[in-house]
Amino acid sequence: MIYFKLAFEFLKIGLFSFGGGYATIPFLYHISQQYSWYSLDELTKMTAVASITPGPVGINVATYAGFKTAGILGSLVATLSEILPSFILVLIVAKLLKKFSNNFYVEAVLSTLKPIGCALLASVAVGLIRVELNNIKSIILLLVLLLLSWKSKKDPIFYIVFAGVVGALISFLHY
Amino acid sequence: MNSTSLLNLYLIFVKIGAILLGGGYVILPLITNEFATKRSLIKKEEIVDYFALAQSLPGIIAANISMFIGYKLRGKRGALLAMLGVITVPFFCIVALASLLSILTENQYVQSVFWGVGIAVIALILLTMRELWQNTKKDLSFYIVFFLALASLVIFEFSPIKTILIFTLFGIILNKVVKQKEAE
Repeated sequence: MIYFKLAFEFLKIGLFSFGGGYATIPFLYHISQQYSWYSLDELTKMTAVASITPGPVGINVATYAGFKTAGILGSLVATLSEILPSFILVLIVAKLLKKFSNNFYVEAVLSTLKPIGCALLASVAVGLIRVELNNIKSIILLLVLLLLSWKSKKDPIFYIVFAGVVGALISFLHY
Repeated sequence: MNSTSLLNLYLIFVKIGAILLGGGYVILPLITNEFATKRSLIKKEEIVDYFALAQSLPGIIAANISMFIGYKLRGKRGALLAMLGVITVPFFCIVALASLLSILTENQYVQSVFWGVGIAVIALILLTMRELWQNTKKDLSFYIVFFLALASLVIFEFSPIKTILIFTLFGIILNKVVKQKEAE
């Protein structure tokens, strides 16, 4: 059953992703390689759409991926499965707030998950760069975007819109 | 401090979900505005504490902080309704767009826009990594875990879950060893 598989994959994402919406991309990337639910190209589009529509990016991209995989019911299953683990954790943590913060194992796990999260993001960046940075145009655009981020922190939407406009202008000049 | 009804709580979060654009950090001013400034239901400092906690838990930060606020105000049901509220509008937006977009992307013009956007996604992933990197205290065990995990992902093509399970265990042992060394 596709819905069970979908629920299982998104429960895992909800339980193991750290660092906000874009931190779920490594998992979605892995799914795109493992199953034929959506392609890598579609994942990029989903991420972009999730960034420029209202709501948390990580939720939006889950809704979208679920829709791609199994329609509206799929998007419902994916979205709720992704939130369920943290829903349970929030209830537990809110109750045990004080005990939670000084436990050795909790601290050790949380501090270890950060370098792992960095490694996950780096590995996806490497994967995407291999696929997409095959021409000078793309390399220049990426460098420009990173340069723009250097001076001041901007909202994610800024990069999406900026790059989208650049894409539109290039195709306008081309055809 | 006032209290609020479950329905009202849900509606406030529907509104927050509808005007929230971008990553988890954007939700903090929205929540502060609705719950501290406008309604004085929770103190600002308390919201910031919950936000820090929301970031340290797995999952989506914006959903986590919403559930904390909901729980604080109305218990378990409050947490559930806050969570449902914040995803209501985004859910229907995505479902509507998803069906539309597959038609749109046939267009060459739109395809070129998405070429640019694809590059932006790479930049955003790198920026997320930078942020996580900068917000973490980096000791020796951080670098060890980072490079070993990266190697297993890129070279040995471990799945994310396998990597997390193996290296979390490894990290706990590493932390224990470091702690024992410090104690000696």
